[in-house]
Amino acid sequence: MTSEVVTAPRRQSRRGAAFRDAGPPVALIVIFAIFSALSPQFRSTDNVQNIVDAAAVLAVVTCGITFVLMMGSIDLSAAGVMGACALTVSLLVANNRNDNGFGLLGIAVAVLLGCAFGALSGLALVLLKVPSFMATLGMSAVGLGVATLMFAGVQPNITDTMVKGLAIERFLGFSYLTWIAAVCVLLGWLIQRYTRLGRYAYAIGGAEEVLALSGVKVKPYKVAVFALAGAFYGLGGVMVTSQLGAGLVQAGDGYDFSAITAAVVGGTLLTGGRGGIPHSAVGVLLVMVLTNGLVQVGVSPYWQGGVEGLIVVAAVAAAVIPQRRRNQVVK
Amino acid sequence: MNVTPRSAAAILSLSLAAAVLAGCSEQAGGGNGTAAAGEATCEPSKVRLVGQVRNESNPYEASWLAGGDEFAKSVGLTQERLTYDGDSTKQQEQISQILAGDTKCLVMNVLPNGDSDTPPIVKGADQAGAYLVTQWNKPADLKPADYKTWLSHITYNGVESGQQIGDALATAIGGTGGIIALQGVLDTAAAKDRFVGLQNSLKKNPGVTLLDQQAANFSRAEALTVTKTLLTKHGDHVKGIWAANDDMALGALEALQQAGKAGKVAVVGIDAVPDAVTAVKNGTMTATVSSDGSWQGGIGLAIGFCAATGKLKVEDIAAANRAFFAEQFLITKDNAGEFAAPKTNPADFECGNVFNRVAGPLT
Repeated sequence: MTSEVVTAPRRQSRRGAAFRDAGPPVALIVIFAIFSALSPQFRSTDNVQNIVDAAAVLAVVTCGITFVLMMGSIDLSAAGVMGACALTVSLLVANNRNDNGFGLLGIAVAVLLGCAFGALSGLALVLLKVPSFMATLGMSAVGLGVATLMFAGVQPNITDTMVKGLAIERFLGFSYLTWIAAVCVLLGWLIQRYTRLGRYAYAIGGAEEVLALSGVKVKPYKVAVFALAGAFYGLGGVMVTSQLGAGLVQAGDGYDFSAITAAVVGGTLLTGGRGGIPHSAVGVLLVMVLTNGLVQVGVSPYWQGGVEGLIVVAAVAAAVIPQRRRNQVVK
Repeated sequence: MNVTPRSAAAILSLSLAAAVLAGCSEQAGGGNGTAAAGEATCEPSKVRLVGQVRNESNPYEASWLAGGDEFAKSVGLTQERLTYDGDSTKQQEQISQILAGDTKCLVMNVLPNGDSDTPPIVKGADQAGAYLVTQWNKPADLKPADYKTWLSHITYNGVESGQQIGDALATAIGGTGGIIALQGVLDTAAAKDRFVGLQNSLKKNPGVTLLDQQAANFSRAEALTVTKTLLTKHGDHVKGIWAANDDMALGALEALQQAGKAGKVAVVGIDAVPDAVTAVKNGTMTATVSSDGSWQGGIGLAIGFCAATGKLKVEDIAAANRAFFAEQFLITKDNAGEFAAPKTNPADFECGNVFNRVAGPLT
């Protein structure tokens, strides 16, 4: 087997590709500029730090989901996996429910648990032929079930200063969680760009048949991609726990769809084979700038949901117009 | 997440079947209901106690079920614990299953998922002659007094609790200064009423100004993000944070800690979840309001048990007790110790005392 990846033939030139990818960053800059003009607080350093800090968890979760989307599958397991991992980590580090105090090891176990959940989703997909939509939805329910069992009626509050400190302590103006998220984005990008796993994920989304015909065993890579995504969700669950200071079953509430939104807004296609980690990172920032900006300029909470939805649709529309011809999502 | 995927066809046909059944059995059912409510008195040991809440994954509903267990134990029975994951369809299915069994001495203490989920539960219980107490949610025009075995509906006055914590917050910041409000899910009665309470409190305390109000949907995580944003928007003008429930108040506390403002801003909430009570006790939070979840879990079963065993005649229950606001308690540093561990008082559940906590009729 060669390490070269067969990429699906593309008709666009390099210049076309650059133009195509420019949509989301331009939208980000435009929206940022509009909010900055409307609100002096919005453009303050404090608020920019706040936006980036608030984006940390979503960025990590979106990193995971991006690999799955690139492959042309979908993953709805984030909420359940994050819940299970949040409870796991909160019960393993120093907390008010038991005498554990495993610290970093506890975090590692939680991430591994996330990884295992992801692998199970992947196995259900390739061995049992369950569509990824259903497999991951089921896995989310399993995760929530496991989390509820561990919850057992008493919320575990963490007392581990290291884990709590990740959200509170700052380095160069940003919380440690933000730096962790930055490392994840970088790591995700490196995996996508330089490892066989990342490049095959891309190729599976672009043209799975071509890849299979050229002798690549696709299935193990699919499972590996889901496992990788699960590990990111697990870390996301740990980060939420650090932020909230407690293990919540609902730790991952809403992250599944926010992450998909962020990835799509950033230019990752739901049909796979297009987009990637840098796109998603831009998407995450876009979503966070939007939620923060609407509060800062003082849009009434009764209007926010609707306004946010409209802007997201407009941003996606603006981002995909250059690739309308190829965009199979718009059917 | 509580998506239970099921084909639309199945749901449609189920609901059709349910509608047909309901239509057919209405007349016959009415007769049964009278029989059960009128003359039957059950042996205490034959009574079947069912407690149903959304899930066990939050401390409030967990304490509800625990309260139900304690009451059941006090009369030598066990409570059947049902949870429906906040899924209305699942709740109806569970109720139908329970009602399909022996309903002669059945007592149900139910937390309906939403207002619109109450009517089918009430109809089902009425036809089966099962004793029912509902809590929190019901449509305004549906009244227990019109039914024989729907004994009571218990809820809490959100306007009052919203105002209580508003006043406590005003006192804590010395009567002057800016506050921010974190609202719940905007289209729920609880969120609306509690916010009206805050507005009443603001009228009473003219020195306090509401700088901003945002929805954080009763969620700790959303409250964290929203509070951080509002803290950067208003900076040191924020002296207090009013949250429509404790989860959001706890999220706000984390946000304050992350912004390096822990202890400098007063925070209030509602619900008295254990962590919030601890926070009030430690002084990190100013106040919360307790509806006493474990009492709620016990009282519904107690009212039903008294009616089923004949110690409480349905026709003797005062009209004002058929649907009422129950007493709620403002928890501050002074009395937080008493609320630290949720526990029930057996005396509250004696048949003569079950309506002792009526604070006013539900209008």
